[in-house]
Amino acid sequence: MSSSDDQADVERVLAGDVSAFEGIVLRWQGPLINLAYRFCRDRGRAEELAQEAFLRAYRSLAQWRKDAVFSTFLFALATNLYRSELRRIPARIVSVSLDSIAEPADARAYDGGLEDQDRDLAVRRAVDTLPAKYREALILFYFHDLNISTAARSLGLPEGTVKARLSRGRELLRAKLPRLFAVPHLKEA
Amino acid sequence: MRRLIRQGEHEINHILSGEDEILPSSGFAVTVMHAVRRQAAAPPPIPFPWKRALPGLLGAGLAVALILAEGVMAIARFGRTSATAQSSSPLPSLMPLVFHGRTESAAIWAALALLVTLVSVKFSMRLATDRAQG
Repeated sequence: MSSSDDQADVERVLAGDVSAFEGIVLRWQGPLINLAYRFCRDRGRAEELAQEAFLRAYRSLAQWRKDAVFSTFLFALATNLYRSELRRIPARIVSVSLDSIAEPADARAYDGGLEDQDRDLAVRRAVDTLPAKYREALILFYFHDLNISTAARSLGLPEGTVKARLSRGRELLRAKLPRLFAVPHLKEA
Repeated sequence: MRRLIRQGEHEINHILSGEDEILPSSGFAVTVMHAVRRQAAAPPPIPFPWKRALPGLLGAGLAVALILAEGVMAIARFGRTSATAQSSSPLPSLMPLVFHGRTESAAIWAALALLVTLVSVKFSMRLATDRAQG
């Protein structure tokens, strides 16, 4: 994905060539849908949210200041939309109590009886049950390949705040998944 | 302990960064472009008619200022009256002067407010009709 392609398409759209927006859609549909999916865990809704994000991007293309790359602008806009939409209509994430999460008996025993899928599901469900501000920080951090500054720009927050939220989020995850960390009672330890 | 926590964190990093990607459905880009074209073809939002609204807004502002001034004066008068009443009578009237013999002025204000409401409703309806026809 080249940022010069994005810039060229944006300039064409702003000059009145609506069809140039298709290049932007084709380049960014995957990332935007996947980001939305991580927020709502519903494929249909993820596409609806991504479509709304593209429409909003189209409406506010003129506001893109070219000192930042287009993807930063697009992800910040999409993240903002996803967060507000999911606050308005929360995702129908299977609300499992933490006790009912099928936590692996021994997460490190890859060759043992542990099903990797169950372990992954347990971790993702635990993330889904976190308070929004920690969940959002974790989602963005992992979506942007563990890049704190990109996650911070997408969330519109200072890096320090994102670091603090990640740290607290991980702490909560440790408390929710004690066996994964092989620490039965972290607070008492 | 710290080593175990790190190991667990590594595990979580591994799981959360290795999520499966979902692919957009085949018609997604077409649907988005359809919506974008529809939006591009839609007429721009109607700007607020400041020129036409300005006299009304000024009038309303003036009316509010007059009401406030009248209120402040009434409170000041009431303050003076109650001070006089306290010094002259052991049982002062609890009803302020504002409510004595003021029904006529209250009725005038109410009528004026109704008239302003009526005029603004008529005016905005006429504006909307003009826009719809033009």
